[in-house]
Amino acid sequence: MQATQTNDLAPSGRRARKPRESRNLSNLVFILPSIALSLTIIGYPIFEVLRMAVMDVNRFGKIRGFEGFGNFIKIFSDPVFIQSSWQTLIWTVSVVGGTVLVAVPVAIVLNEDFHGRSIARTIILLPWAVSLAMTALVWRFVVNGDFGTLNLALTQLGLPFNNHPWLADAQSAFAIEILVGILVSVPFTVTIILGGLTSIPVTLYEAAAMDGATRWQSLRRITLPMLSPFLQIAIVLNVIYVFNSFPIIWIMTNGGPANGTDILITYVYKQAFAFGKLDVAAAGSVVMFLMLLCFSVLYLFMTRNRSTDG
Amino acid sequence: MSSKAKFSLLCWGALMPLMVVILFPYATMLSTALKRKDEIFQFEISWLPDGLYLGNFVELFVNRGFGQAIFNSIYISVGATLVSLLVALPAAYALSRLKLPGKSTFRTYLLITQMISPIVLIVGLFRLFAYLGMINDLNALVFAHSAFYMAFAVWMLQSYFDTIPKDLEEAAWMDGASRFASFRRVFLPLCLPGIAVTSLFTFVNSWNEYAMALTILRDGSLQTAPVRIAFLTGTLYETEWNIIMAATLIATLPVAIVFASIQSYLIRGLSLGGVK
Repeated sequence: MQATQTNDLAPSGRRARKPRESRNLSNLVFILPSIALSLTIIGYPIFEVLRMAVMDVNRFGKIRGFEGFGNFIKIFSDPVFIQSSWQTLIWTVSVVGGTVLVAVPVAIVLNEDFHGRSIARTIILLPWAVSLAMTALVWRFVVNGDFGTLNLALTQLGLPFNNHPWLADAQSAFAIEILVGILVSVPFTVTIILGGLTSIPVTLYEAAAMDGATRWQSLRRITLPMLSPFLQIAIVLNVIYVFNSFPIIWIMTNGGPANGTDILITYVYKQAFAFGKLDVAAAGSVVMFLMLLCFSVLYLFMTRNRSTDG
Repeated sequence: MSSKAKFSLLCWGALMPLMVVILFPYATMLSTALKRKDEIFQFEISWLPDGLYLGNFVELFVNRGFGQAIFNSIYISVGATLVSLLVALPAAYALSRLKLPGKSTFRTYLLITQMISPIVLIVGLFRLFAYLGMINDLNALVFAHSAFYMAFAVWMLQSYFDTIPKDLEEAAWMDGASRFASFRRVFLPLCLPGIAVTSLFTFVNSWNEYAMALTILRDGSLQTAPVRIAFLTGTLYETEWNIIMAATLIATLPVAIVFASIQSYLIRGLSLGGVK
């Protein structure tokens, strides 16, 4: 590394390299459109959010003056914000944890060679194809107390759930939302883990079998360790997605009853578009940014480790 | 019974609980969409509708303006797919084939765009489009979706490009083809399947997107299908679930079929590009 750098600085090396380098520079044209698009649509809003977070903004978006940390003080002294933060933690940990617990065994089964495997894969991956908003809506009907099909099915099984209003109570509503969250996160996670499983060389298992390892032993000693980088990435990506997941809670309970199912994202959305407090919403977004930044750094750190390993 | 048949039964048995939970809402959707209104609200609810009643679908398109919502969704999804392909194709080609200063920086940049969720940015996005005069403009959603789904398109395309041997293009140059001609005549036809899968994936993502469409398209006639359907639950005096389930069925079924057809490519594409 050091050697090539000093080489670059040597006049002879530089002259020889120049025509090639300028050609490489012109290759930047290929990536410029993608950078321009994302800088406009993602970069500028980031700037706006950061700016509004320290400003006093009225409900029509007009900036009235500098506010400093006032907006941050406002959200941190709002009990609903604190409550939403705890609920976000419960939501993210339960959904991601539940997803991994379901997805790993399912992926291992789906990686086996059995009759109808492609049909099974299609069914398991189906929730990925459906809009989160639609899934949430259908589930809202399924768990509807008076004419939902969940109570119908449970009653037919002889259980005492006739007219049970699942979404009227914050705890049962949140539990159902977590289950729906797990259900829609499983397909993506299964896909990543399946990718990991197919990357494990078959020869490893053959060698293990030769040495007399049982199926269970090779699962514990080969499959799970080889999967761990894929699992880490699945977990971090899921944390990011679930932390930001909006439609399920918004459509099923709108954060209610009594803010009992609000998470940070629904809290911020309400601040902006229901109460017109754009500056407070922006400050909330910044806090969420910072939380996500920790996860993103973790993610980059992990992928970097992997690329140096492999 | 052969041992593979036994093993298959075991596998299906293990997957059954999850499958029941996955399929349960779709069964509900289908049976409710085919019911008359009074069949839902009666005291003794049943699973099967009395007959194949298609009136809900007619009602949707004739009286509820659902055709307009479908049109809006198609406009946005097709537009977003085209724009994101337009910017992702050259970027993926450069990542796969060309010498590029700052290649790893660009990769990191793409990752970062994926870590920022549109919903965290929603206040800023709203201001951006308000500033551009594009609130209540379908094109705003075209650009927003293409920007957020672009990174995935680049990854998927690049992983596909990497599987196409370089020798083929080099052979074409040897035969005197220009770089562009070899790209168009040799490279592009070979990677059409990859482009198709990437397009479909972007299309499905854009079709299903809810939060940005909800926030930026404020006018009822501009709502996309998912927003329109979710809206139906809030506006009516009594929630007409039969109509809503019929609408969900229409909004869900076509994309689910598209998705099922590309699902095996996704497993490969993700393991090669996105995760590595």
